[in-house]
Amino acid sequence: MKQPSILYLIVGSFAFLIAGFVVTVWLPGFLKDPQPTEFAVRYNDVQLEGRDIYIREGCWYCHTQQVRSIEVEVGTVRLRGDIGPESVPGDYVYQKPVLWGTNRQGPDLSHVASRPYATKEWHIIHLEDPNNVVPGSVMPSFEHLNDRDMDALSEYLMALK
Amino acid sequence: MRGRTSTIESFHGEWKLMRSDQQEAPSLQAAQPTRPTEEKAAAWFLYSAVFWLAVPGIAGLIMAVFLFAPYVQDWLPMWARPYIQFGRLRPVHVNLALIGWLSMVYASSMIFIVARLTRAPIYAEKLARANVVLWNVVVAGALVSLLLGFNQGREYAELVWPLDLLLIVCFAILAVNIWGTVFRRTEKRLYISVWSFMAASLIFPFIYAIGNVVWDTSGALTGMNDAILNYFYVHNLFNVWFTTGAMGLVFYLLPKLTGNPIWSYRLAVWGFASVWTGQHHLLYGPGPEWLELLSVSFSILAAVPNTAFAYNFFKTMQGSWNKVVTDVPLRFLAMGCLFYVATCFQGVSQSFRGFNAQIHFSNWVIGHSHLAFVASYSFFAFALVYHLLPRLMGRPLFDRRLMEWHFWLIAPSLIAFMVTLWAAGLIQGENWLTGGIPFVETVKAMKPYMFLRLVTGAAMGAGIAVFVYNTLLSLRTKPNPAPVAEQVA
Repeated sequence: MKQPSILYLIVGSFAFLIAGFVVTVWLPGFLKDPQPTEFAVRYNDVQLEGRDIYIREGCWYCHTQQVRSIEVEVGTVRLRGDIGPESVPGDYVYQKPVLWGTNRQGPDLSHVASRPYATKEWHIIHLEDPNNVVPGSVMPSFEHLNDRDMDALSEYLMALK
Repeated sequence: MRGRTSTIESFHGEWKLMRSDQQEAPSLQAAQPTRPTEEKAAAWFLYSAVFWLAVPGIAGLIMAVFLFAPYVQDWLPMWARPYIQFGRLRPVHVNLALIGWLSMVYASSMIFIVARLTRAPIYAEKLARANVVLWNVVVAGALVSLLLGFNQGREYAELVWPLDLLLIVCFAILAVNIWGTVFRRTEKRLYISVWSFMAASLIFPFIYAIGNVVWDTSGALTGMNDAILNYFYVHNLFNVWFTTGAMGLVFYLLPKLTGNPIWSYRLAVWGFASVWTGQHHLLYGPGPEWLELLSVSFSILAAVPNTAFAYNFFKTMQGSWNKVVTDVPLRFLAMGCLFYVATCFQGVSQSFRGFNAQIHFSNWVIGHSHLAFVASYSFFAFALVYHLLPRLMGRPLFDRRLMEWHFWLIAPSLIAFMVTLWAAGLIQGENWLTGGIPFVETVKAMKPYMFLRLVTGAAMGAGIAVFVYNTLLSLRTKPNPAPVAEQVA
């Protein structure tokens, strides 16, 4: 039996790659140009610095920032449904990168600033010793962050309405 | 009639190729290592891979300790705390396992196998050696930069821009060597493994470049499209590089170790992967629903090549199962294939939206990723290292009994590890979707599971330690006295 030419492999592979890219990456962006919602925040400099610390310390490995449609009214941090409203593309229009996350060792933080107990001071105390504020928490302490970083990080968290 | 006989006849070229290469060494016991000096690049790749494997092992173990007993972190000196912390170790664990350990075993094996199946020396051995050096620089750079907190904030695409560029160069050089060797081949017919390596090495540098947004130093897009592109990349890293590569490796090593030809060459060609499935990582998320449904459809379609692989594997193994009792590399390979089939079907099941709703964000997914990257791909890699090492180095393994220790430490504990995580994930999903249960109560409920995760993880770590020790000490064994010249140049 004759083997096909290597040219088929080259052309086929690239056709396969380009088709996949066009349909699943380019097309979604082309079809939808989301308008900013009330949750889309243009971060100020301090909040952006805090966001960089959030990325640097890997907070997003354990905390998601996306509320799925099926968990609205159900998702619980302390009280039933306090996870907040469903996330939509318009929430993220000013974010680069987005921090949706894929794992929850801790609760979702999309709307963490809207929880009644969460103030900037609460966040600082919680970041310094999570287990003292929430007994049973497995979150590490971030007391090694300097004051400036701690301030920026808690400012950022307070921007997640 | 389809079956072994007709397959041999219709694909006489491939079969002859596999046999001739195999006559002198159907298994490791009869290994006659040859030409220790010429193929330095493949040997260096192999040793680098084994060396880097220690890092994700240690990082994983530390994270398991933190998840069970977070207070251990308070025992660390203040200067060490920013670095030895879950959020820094997690990307180290993932990236070093993928680009340090697995990809370097792949690179080593691809160079070794392509040279044999094409009956041609590697296209540019010196370039390949330079590639090993560059690749090690990238991996070391990844380790240091990730520990220092340089992170682009995108899962599996964390590396900073300069490292992204260097890594693309590494993959491109590998592609040049594979394709260059193919064009200078003296064996006219290309075996299925060579096709796989050619396809994977050709496409993957582009996927990496696009997925890591190399035209922008921040390595990210803005808004929803960033997440879509991120998971396009994540799934194609898996599909295009690791799976396509693995098919080539398995279809080479399985006939080698069992002494049977591939049952059906035609069926082996059905090992296609789909690049349309990335969005199934984000089901019910903020992304477009039509894209989710498309990715689910293509994920279900992936059952076709999985079934083809499973059938081919079982038919090829027929009559050789007894060999796994004595042949540790074959045992790793066969077990890896079984786990691979399990991974694929579990992956299909996870893409169903109802089930995905339950397990998304939970520890189940961590179990699944270990099923893919440890239980299948790393098991292939263990088999490859044991198979290649004596051939590349021209010396026997340090201690063959340690291979048994390696296997029995890692295999049962890995299964227990994954079952623990799956059980834990189901409980998390159930609690979260029930609603009204404070989040921290679920965290507390995870305690016993995190304990089991730590214990089984420690046993896996011990297995890896034995493997690394055994392999590295093989550098000090006496070279085989009289290397037999190999027919393949």
